[in-house]
Amino acid sequence: MATTELRTEEMLLNVGPQHPSTHGVLRLVVKVDGEIIREATLVIGYLHRGTEKLAEDLQYTQIIPYTDRLDYLAAMINNHAIVNAVEQAMDLQVPERAEYLRVIVAELNRIASHLLFLGAYLLDLGAMSPFLYAFQERETITQMFNEISGARLTYNYMRVGGVKWDAPPGWIDKVRAYIPHFREKLKMYHNLVTGNEVFLGRVKGIGAYSQEKALGYGLSGINLRSTGFKWDIRRNKPYSIYDRFDFDIPVGKNGDCYDRYICHMMEMEESLKIVEKAVEQIQDGPVMGKAPKILRVPAGEYYASVEGAKGELGIYIVSDGKDKPYRFKLRRPSFINLQILPELMEGQNVANMIAILGAVDIVLGEVDA
Amino acid sequence: MSGVLGLLKGLGVTLGQLPKKKVTLMYPDVQPEWPDRYRGVHKLMPDLCIVCNQCARICPTSCISLSGTRGEDRKLHLETFDINFEICILCDLCTEVCPTEAIQMTDTFELAEYNRDAIYKDMNWLTENGKQHALRKGLSLESTEEAVEQNNQLEGNA
Repeated sequence: MATTELRTEEMLLNVGPQHPSTHGVLRLVVKVDGEIIREATLVIGYLHRGTEKLAEDLQYTQIIPYTDRLDYLAAMINNHAIVNAVEQAMDLQVPERAEYLRVIVAELNRIASHLLFLGAYLLDLGAMSPFLYAFQERETITQMFNEISGARLTYNYMRVGGVKWDAPPGWIDKVRAYIPHFREKLKMYHNLVTGNEVFLGRVKGIGAYSQEKALGYGLSGINLRSTGFKWDIRRNKPYSIYDRFDFDIPVGKNGDCYDRYICHMMEMEESLKIVEKAVEQIQDGPVMGKAPKILRVPAGEYYASVEGAKGELGIYIVSDGKDKPYRFKLRRPSFINLQILPELMEGQNVANMIAILGAVDIVLGEVDA
Repeated sequence: MSGVLGLLKGLGVTLGQLPKKKVTLMYPDVQPEWPDRYRGVHKLMPDLCIVCNQCARICPTSCISLSGTRGEDRKLHLETFDINFEICILCDLCTEVCPTEAIQMTDTFELAEYNRDAIYKDMNWLTENGKQHALRKGLSLESTEEAVEQNNQLEGNA
């Protein structure tokens, strides 16, 4: 038998936009050589709603429900971002209780977002049950948000100058009781997932990048911290009342998928610490400060950012002194974090593509805005 | 060896879950119980509306349209009130600005229809929805003042 060389050619593989492991409507066009990815192109925009342009035609209070729909897994943090930006621009004071309520709901929302990461990421890697465990706990948080804000996902809870509603009777106690319960659950997740050899084989050393590269791409949040760079807006540029809480910033070492996973897990613990301190310190008082009925941001340019669940969530407002922004720009962490993907995927095999994409933790509502 | 230990730990979690109660709610056979502040579909009390148009103006998606006429008592009375639930995002801003609390949120949440026209709800539908909500929650249907007060108590901002 003559041994002739097998004739091979590259193939274009289309993944998405309707594909469960692209976490929404992301489309990947990958050039594969057998099992190896030679080139990956991201196609985005399937969920583009023109939020920034719409905001130019809306009053500042009306923009708040639109921010719910950016990173819809952490809508409380998005709410916090815009009210924080407008308050800083207008130099408004927020009552203490409102600040504490904001921090409590924002950190609980961070936990809920990371829980979804945990569940969805393992689902991507082929593990079904962690998703169910994670969603059971996420559901409890969602119920608590439903009680305080009246919605399960799009909360529209914060207002410029405070929050919409005070916590209903017994709500703070419920949060207090939830903290030790969730600590136990975190241990359970570690037992279930972190030691699993199959999981470790899928994530250790996969999708690694250096600190310089992460900074060069402008990554933020866990994607940056996983490389060992200690950068957290809550600590480095404190906003709200975050300077009153003592918490660690978990960092990774190698910048691979495993480090990103473990940073998510550790961040949940840190968020829990903040919530614990906040429910301890919260005092009775008003939840809405003095804010003019029609909000007019003085003419000028303003930028304020918060630490979102995915990274630095910035709001840039250009105002000409009217009740609507002249230009409204969002620094969406998912969008910026996504840029490193094509480079990470080169040379990997198709199965790792999903592992790398999942670990970057994007939300398409935020990518496309 | 450590690999096996990790797998066994995970198996322990799975076995520990076995005797626990199920948490899944078997919707639609079992209806969910919503908290009092839940922002579902609106209800309307037409007698209270003073046709000030504030709800229509604050609405981020401009889904509310209403009209009224001046009656013999020189006050404006509501004539039509429509909400387009195709674009309504249930953000609750309209109920927040309403000075007489004529428009409020209920716990109705099932809005699916077979055609687009059916999702455009008028005054009668919204009023009827309020009545259904009152029946479910055991609220008074006697006077509108009472209804407003009860609603405030539900939301915890009396």
